[in-house]
Amino acid sequence: MCGTGPRAQPGGVIELRNLTKRYGDTLAVDDLSFRVEPGRVTGFLGPNGAGKSTTMRMVLGLDTPTSGEALVDGGRYVDLPRPLTRVGALLDAGAVHLGRSAYNHLLALALSNDLPETRVAEVLEQVGLAGVARRKAGGFSLGMKQRLGIAAALLGDPGVLMFDEPVNGLDPDGVRWIRHLMRGLAGEGRTILLSSHLMSEMALTADHIVIVGRGRLVVQATVSELTERYPSLEEAYLELTAASLEYGANR
Amino acid sequence: MRAALSAEWVKMRSVPATAQAVGVATLTIVLGLVWTLYVADVAEDRGRAVSAMAPELGFLPLVQISMAVLGVLAITPEYAGGQIRSTLAAVPSRGRLVLAKAVAVGGVTLATGTVVILATYTVGRVLAGDGLVDYRSDGLHTVAGPVLSVAVLALAGLGLGLATRSTAGGIVTVAGLLFVLPGIAAYLPEPWNERLSAVLIRDLTSAVGGDGTLPPWAAVLALLAYAVIPLAAGHHLMRRRDV
Repeated sequence: MCGTGPRAQPGGVIELRNLTKRYGDTLAVDDLSFRVEPGRVTGFLGPNGAGKSTTMRMVLGLDTPTSGEALVDGGRYVDLPRPLTRVGALLDAGAVHLGRSAYNHLLALALSNDLPETRVAEVLEQVGLAGVARRKAGGFSLGMKQRLGIAAALLGDPGVLMFDEPVNGLDPDGVRWIRHLMRGLAGEGRTILLSSHLMSEMALTADHIVIVGRGRLVVQATVSELTERYPSLEEAYLELTAASLEYGANR
Repeated sequence: MRAALSAEWVKMRSVPATAQAVGVATLTIVLGLVWTLYVADVAEDRGRAVSAMAPELGFLPLVQISMAVLGVLAITPEYAGGQIRSTLAAVPSRGRLVLAKAVAVGGVTLATGTVVILATYTVGRVLAGDGLVDYRSDGLHTVAGPVLSVAVLALAGLGLGLATRSTAGGIVTVAGLLFVLPGIAAYLPEPWNERLSAVLIRDLTSAVGGDGTLPPWAAVLALLAYAVIPLAAGHHLMRRRDV
């Protein structure tokens, strides 16, 4: 189950059904419904505050929906017996105790899901952190923390992966590495949900695009459909989200 | 559950705070040693037996507060950063997570408390030697209450850390239980001062050994409530709140 070759089973499906999250007077996520399918990279786009991170947290059972549901293969994430073997997620690079070494951070996660300790060295190698495995995460750069978060997501060799802004803080080499990693994981039949603000990068990485604005679904389409209708993915994004910008200068 | 517990054990042993808190607790042995030498010296000067506070009881608050801080720090740094999201993504059952943390914290602090308190007791008695030092203690069975109180305070710290999600908040609250409430109780009018004091940690700790208002079995139950109630409250809040 810890191989890196093509998977026999499809990656799994993330399904949102009328997902809604209200914080006081603010609707962070507003009646959002879409499916994320296996075998492709689904780009998750939207302005700051559009509800992307909140949606991902609800998929992981970290935040409770006000109404509606977020399902993984038809069930709730919190009911999965060894969740890291089904869903891997990088939510934010700060999701690590600064006084703990990268190795021990991953070891605790591995043990919690009955994964063999050998997986820790494997994922550290895979993300290029093997040389600093024993160093405390507090001394890591943002890019290194991103790599550590990606290692944690890959730990259980899951069929479904969610990455929230994984290229933040990465150098050009790292950005390209992420692109190949995402393409490779999708090529193995896994389900990839990827949020990013880098449109040119997204155009190179994603097959399918979901755009949200103010918590609502704006459009879902393939990248080629969008680039046929608009000069570029960036133009498509800017035009489609112009009405739902919460923060931004006039343009 | 075994998996969640082994993960929590790795997390505890892989941060410096755990070793630091245990290190502070073991200072009690050194303090007990110095205290015994001092009392023995005084007794020798006076040429007669001197009655003095038993070191394992007198320096107990140092063990209690250091282990209580260890309990708080088993959870609050996870909230200060985003570690708690990684933790709950790996172990989505809040009940299982709280139980695993409680077993890890309870185990480490019970072991630390037992070793430190027994060592302080032994060092004090061995060095006191020739009978001029008369420690106010009824014997070895009186250390059961102190040992239990140490683990209870650590679990209370964990529960209060869960409830407050703040290192400062958790430590201040558990320190208040230990050091501030007895002061407040002392200023209450009769008979409430004694009624409240009887159920505070300090009195319960000695009541476990038979020296208190409550009978030993009731004192044990009351001490356990100091662990269970904060943990239950922390668990309840954790289930209700987003992270």
